[in-house]
Amino acid sequence: MIPSSECLFLLNMTVELLNREFESNIGQLRSYLLRITASVADAEDIAQDTYLKAVEKINTFRGDSSLKTWFFTIASNLAKDNLRAQKRWVENVTDITKAAALSNKQFFQEAMNIRTTSPHGQFEAKEHIAFCFTCISKSLPLEQQLCIFLKEVYEFKINEITTILDTTEAMVKYYLHTGRGKMINIFEGRCALINKEGVCHQCSELNGIFNPKQNTQVELMKIDLVKEAEKGEKEHLFDLRMQIMREIDPFKSKASELQLHHLEHNRQVMEKYLEKKPD
Amino acid sequence: MSTTATMAKTGKATTVRKTFSRTTSVSTEINADPAIIWSLLTKASDASRWNSTVLSIEGNIALGETIILKSPLSPERKFKLKVKEFEKEKKLVWGDGMGTRIFTLTKNSNGTTTFKMTEKIEGPVFPLFAKMIPSFDESFDRFASDLKKEAETIMNSK
Repeated sequence: MIPSSECLFLLNMTVELLNREFESNIGQLRSYLLRITASVADAEDIAQDTYLKAVEKINTFRGDSSLKTWFFTIASNLAKDNLRAQKRWVENVTDITKAAALSNKQFFQEAMNIRTTSPHGQFEAKEHIAFCFTCISKSLPLEQQLCIFLKEVYEFKINEITTILDTTEAMVKYYLHTGRGKMINIFEGRCALINKEGVCHQCSELNGIFNPKQNTQVELMKIDLVKEAEKGEKEHLFDLRMQIMREIDPFKSKASELQLHHLEHNRQVMEKYLEKKPD
Repeated sequence: MSTTATMAKTGKATTVRKTFSRTTSVSTEINADPAIIWSLLTKASDASRWNSTVLSIEGNIALGETIILKSPLSPERKFKLKVKEFEKEKKLVWGDGMGTRIFTLTKNSNGTTTFKMTEKIEGPVFPLFAKMIPSFDESFDRFASDLKKEAETIMNSK
């Protein structure tokens, strides 16, 4: 039997290790939570609860997975409890929220204020592409949304995702395949960046508003997703979209304050919209 | 070789016609986990993405629920079907007053899954309508082939 002082020593070491690991993963964890909840407040709360739960359950950690996988498991469970109680968003979320924004002077005034005063208030189409993906992904069934983020954005392996979501490899593959397929179809139908017939031009429209001196087309052509669009390889375009997601930290990017303001607006609009929508 | 084994290898539909009934069956061996095949079969909103024999399925495929299926065989008609059996990853049965469709999944020791689909149309008035009901054979062949292709694509994804 291990003496209690030694046990305490081992436990202290583990808490220290846990703290270090949590600190090095907190950025990705918050980013993940924000993108699946679309709420800064929920993301912060769940991140904090994840830490508290990890400390509380430290004795149950057996090292079967990495600590990063374990943190994401705890966070995903907490988030799922929260998200299962909410209705899923709809594919045309950007149409609904755009209509609401156009009749909301305060939203635009606040956005312009952020744009002119905040060091994190720049508008970049790339950031908006990531923001848009976050919103539209909330129309997927929850498991599909989580699998896509875990695999494509936070680069977990399939066997790690089975641990995080407590499901089988077969189901993770199913969720990934169907989720990817749906998102590819939605963007193919909507996104004017990759399809000239696409109905959504918000990246261009917002760039015109926030960066009036820029030539929007020139700016857009700097993005690989747009440059490669003519080749029409849908899977590849989706991968390029995921690359943008991986490159952007929604809490720290140059456009983070502006995009978070926009996200909060969309979340509030969608909550009201879904309240009225029949099941 | 038994008839079932032949069907499993070929994935070709067969139909047995009787005076008061018609039964079409197809069976195929799929190199995928039953969970994947079951998910494909029971997610109504996703059906038309992979299944070329379905225009749409509305509703929730779950025990006791009613679904509305539109088929390219009769695009103008909406088939209102009740889910009569729902045994996860094993058996699904739906139907209406005249027809019953049974889907079964059997996990094999070599890791594959045998998918079988049977539809029996029957009843005292069946002879009156028999000539108006199109053959299901080609549609069943395509259903089995589409399901096999999609499930194996998912199973082999990295």
